[in-house]
Amino acid sequence: MTECYYISQNELPAVLETVSGLMDVWVPLKTGTHKTAIEFAPFTPGCRPIFDRQSTSSPKSVLFPQSETLFKFRYLKDESDPTRQTVALTDLEEIRPALVFGLRPCDARGFLVFDKVFLDGIAKDPYYAKRREKTVLATLACKTPDSACFCSSVGSGPGDRQNSDLWIIPIDDGFVIEALTEKGREVLPRFGKPAGESQIKQAEKVQKHIDGLTVGKADLTGAGSEFTRRFTDTEFWRDQVSKCLSCGMCTFNCPTCYCFNITDDAHGLEGERLRSWDSCMFNHYTREASGHNPRPEKYERFRNRVGHKFSYFPERYDGMMACCGCGRCIRNCPVSMDIRQIVRSLKENADV
Amino acid sequence: MNDKNKIIKQTFQKVFDDLEVVLGWKQGFDSLHMTPAFIRKASDLDQLVFNPQCVQNLSGYLFSTLKAADPEKQGKIGICVKGCDSRSLTALIQEGLVERDRVYIVGIPCKGVVDVKKLRNLKPSLTEISGITIEADEVVIEADGKTERFPIADVLAHKCLQCRYPNPLIYDALIGEPVTARVAQDAARPAVEQLDALSLEARRNFWLTEMDRCIRCYACRNACPMCVCQDSCIAETRSPKWLSQRSDISEKFLFHMIRTVHLAGRCTECGECMRVCPVDIPVTLLMEKMNCIVKELFDYEAGIDPESKPPLQTYDSSKTGI
Repeated sequence: MTECYYISQNELPAVLETVSGLMDVWVPLKTGTHKTAIEFAPFTPGCRPIFDRQSTSSPKSVLFPQSETLFKFRYLKDESDPTRQTVALTDLEEIRPALVFGLRPCDARGFLVFDKVFLDGIAKDPYYAKRREKTVLATLACKTPDSACFCSSVGSGPGDRQNSDLWIIPIDDGFVIEALTEKGREVLPRFGKPAGESQIKQAEKVQKHIDGLTVGKADLTGAGSEFTRRFTDTEFWRDQVSKCLSCGMCTFNCPTCYCFNITDDAHGLEGERLRSWDSCMFNHYTREASGHNPRPEKYERFRNRVGHKFSYFPERYDGMMACCGCGRCIRNCPVSMDIRQIVRSLKENADV
Repeated sequence: MNDKNKIIKQTFQKVFDDLEVVLGWKQGFDSLHMTPAFIRKASDLDQLVFNPQCVQNLSGYLFSTLKAADPEKQGKIGICVKGCDSRSLTALIQEGLVERDRVYIVGIPCKGVVDVKKLRNLKPSLTEISGITIEADEVVIEADGKTERFPIADVLAHKCLQCRYPNPLIYDALIGEPVTARVAQDAARPAVEQLDALSLEARRNFWLTEMDRCIRCYACRNACPMCVCQDSCIAETRSPKWLSQRSDISEKFLFHMIRTVHLAGRCTECGECMRVCPVDIPVTLLMEKMNCIVKELFDYEAGIDPESKPPLQTYDSSKTGI
């Protein structure tokens, strides 16, 4: 381990407070009256970040807000020709640098999926790109996978360092933090002091333990051909998804779901162009202007979600799954749908 | 297999030939989570279970399941209901959305269900359990060979702590003995009273803070057995466009208010909206308040009598003053 810092649990709030004066700091917090949901929210003095379990919602909203104004527009009457209008556009506001502290390896992998789509394609998404460039991901090595987690099943794992800027290893009374990128190296010195030998040893032990964990039983990669073969098996899909409620809980809390809608919100001659989350689970997601809907039924929509994550995306992006195995779509689903079981069923009954 | 599960299975077995599908619960991805089961083969009846983790209200599936059923066969849908679920089913019958003779209802008296989010908040690492039993004022959880007891308020769902109808009000077969209600029928609603006691400003702030977290996933709406508009909801219509896609409190607030008003005199307090909310908004409290108003104005409670008509679905021009 090179460039490791150590910070005790007691010192962490003060450091996060100092850093929050320089950049937006996002931490997992219990919100709401009942204090059972955990979401990434801006650090405020006195808040108590939760590191002992995964957050309910993913931190994707930091880089991909639920709703964002792409630009503002204003129609102006052309004085020389009253039948004509011109339009004036105002660009987006300056984006502040941000630190996401305490996300999990699965969450960081979610952004890897986003990067493929928003940065590496034929068109680079300027809104995402700006935020991405200015955001530091400080990822907590994951000691607490649960029964809904399956990161190892999709080619990742609880010790997966890919795509993080800082790597946080929890030890007895604090954290050993290592910089993995240049962006990470810039903020690292703010976190306590260089780690001592015994702290590094302890961290290495924890890391070794985490690297040895297999989270998720089955291998869910390479299900593309089974999916294609099953595509027209209507009975299979209807049977698998009969209990789905068609709500957007799974997709909105998913670290890899990036679908969006674009709408204009105008009053009189002024307005904004908005980009907001959309969900393939919603009936109107594919509804066309003509009124025709190519996926009118629930099973068709769910099938598309499975196909997108486990077949189409890996086919398009060198085998990478559009699923990071965080299990949020399983753990938080009102009716406990289990996407793992559906992908397994694809494979198990492949000959039917 | 415990006795209750066996009786449920045998009850359905006797009438299975007349049923198109049986809606019940089975184990989900771990022993803590139960999940709705759609049983189409008699041999799968073994999967059915009933325990305090059977949280979902299955009556929400009836409308779509009946619509998808074979119209020639006119087969029945078998369904398991708890006390609260039976009220939703009754309300659907009242509104003509479900025909009474198309359902075979297995009623199960219920001592309450677990709020999995509360439980996981108490014990973050808990996923596998060997059993949960509910006693008078304690919930007993067996896990990892250990037995732990918790006060019911810490573990049971909000709706169960003030449950006035633990026994199904409508059924073809009843499983086990009726249980005693936790509170009296005219009992107060502490959560509603607490909010009512706040100043208008404070109450407004409470709801603004709560609803600000809404992610508009619409799980509350989709899990609600009485939200029958589903894909034609005002939240998503583009023409007219009632709500913008902006993630503002005004949009979220409007959605919840419209939903509340749509459910006035219809909500049966099954608590699904609150249970499914991923960000913990106490949606049910709005419905409870509305139900108090409906009770006061019309002396009516939804989902009690299949023959009665919801007050906001009747129009009597001779009545004035409302």
